[in-house]
Amino acid sequence: MPTKVLICDDSSLARNMLARSLPADWDIDIQFATNGKEGLAAIEAGHGDIVFLDLTMPELDGYGVLEYLHQRKSTPKVVVVSSDIQPDAQDKVLKLGALAFVKKPMNSDTALKLVKDLNLYTESTVQRQRPMVSVNQRDCYQEITNVAMGQAANQLARLLDAFIVLPIPKVDLINANDLRMTITETLGYSSYSAICQGFSGAGIAGEAIVFFNDMSFAELGTLLNYKDTHKENIQLEILMDIGSLLIGTCIQGIGNQIDIHFNQSQPVILGQHSKPDELLNPESMYWEKTLAIDIHYTIEHLSVDCNLLLLFTEDSIAKLNKKIDFLLE
Amino acid sequence: MSKIRMEDIHWIMDILQNIDAGLVVLDKEFKVHLWNNFMESHSGIGPQQALQASLFDLFPDLDADWLRGKTDPVFYLHTRAFTVWEQRPYMFRFKNPRPITGRSSVMYQNITILPIKNINQEVHHVCLIVYDVTDIAIAHNDLRKHGLSS
Repeated sequence: MPTKVLICDDSSLARNMLARSLPADWDIDIQFATNGKEGLAAIEAGHGDIVFLDLTMPELDGYGVLEYLHQRKSTPKVVVVSSDIQPDAQDKVLKLGALAFVKKPMNSDTALKLVKDLNLYTESTVQRQRPMVSVNQRDCYQEITNVAMGQAANQLARLLDAFIVLPIPKVDLINANDLRMTITETLGYSSYSAICQGFSGAGIAGEAIVFFNDMSFAELGTLLNYKDTHKENIQLEILMDIGSLLIGTCIQGIGNQIDIHFNQSQPVILGQHSKPDELLNPESMYWEKTLAIDIHYTIEHLSVDCNLLLLFTEDSIAKLNKKIDFLLE
Repeated sequence: MSKIRMEDIHWIMDILQNIDAGLVVLDKEFKVHLWNNFMESHSGIGPQQALQASLFDLFPDLDADWLRGKTDPVFYLHTRAFTVWEQRPYMFRFKNPRPITGRSSVMYQNITILPIKNINQEVHHVCLIVYDVTDIAIAHNDLRKHGLSS
């Protein structure tokens, strides 16, 4: 009997990469699920000797799946494969009964060692064909961002000793005329402060903007041991420190995955205490379209709220797609 | 000169590679001998392609006669040469380092050309230093538009 393997991840790129990382001569029958609910349905239907589980998913996330399984009598072996690598995330899933925690993307050496350690390895006489998962471009951007923002959140979590809540990043192609509207839709009308920083490498260029909800500064300041967090210059310090950390880690994280070294220009303060759409001046923008990736970071139990917006120039998109194609080969 | 440690050389190379200014070393034939990250990132031309290539092949739009006129005194008189953005907005056509919120499509540049002396005090190479002055240029142009600067 082949081992029944379930891969549960909302990203087609991640499902594809995970399936390919499993030993080719492992005697298995792979099934896929695109969210936690589908995953549980497959497990209930008896397909799940071992489950490779993502954490950040729509409908029902990985924690939800683990909590459900925790109540159940017989549970499958669960390995969490996640881009959220914060220490607290690892603790949480192990407490909920996961057998192992693997950082995304899992490589084939890790996979082989893991299935051998879990005593699941049975050799097949035939080499398995590479499973075909059709992968769309948006999924690729989302997944690459997932991994990068997970690294950024991990850094921030360690710096602040807090748990960063990670969302699913939003990927959109935006017209310059619609940028302000999109930002208002995302951030609303509260008071924000923002910094931006250009990045470029291998002909791919863009800009990262970090928007901080102004109410975040008091608690962030406390976490960073700043006094007088109501003062303008202290808020700028915080904005610059946290903003550069989020931008730098995320940009380098994306670069590492697609093998590009990004240069970063000096950060610039876009403005303080303004409505988010007023921080940008679209009349002076000379470009037409941008590939926008929005990541909304919040911190558990605190009113800290910020958005990292990655904006790639239109002529970068074709080059980015080419780099991403290498990941799929 | 004091003894240079291997470690120092690594540091210096790392700093030269990653500094936020362009560095290009050229010989008298305008062949490239150093090409740092800044130049690679903004041009999209990697060091494998740039090293040993002629700068004029890499950038066909570059005015060769003009650049020779600029570098001749550096090679023969060992003086520095400069260009500023007011006189020539850029030497290399790079995108604005902030391509989304920046208000110009190109990077404005100031350039310094340094003579590099060898052990015999001869100059066979020069170094171009490319500074990004886009924000300064745009702010200056804004002031001028509003009659606040000459």
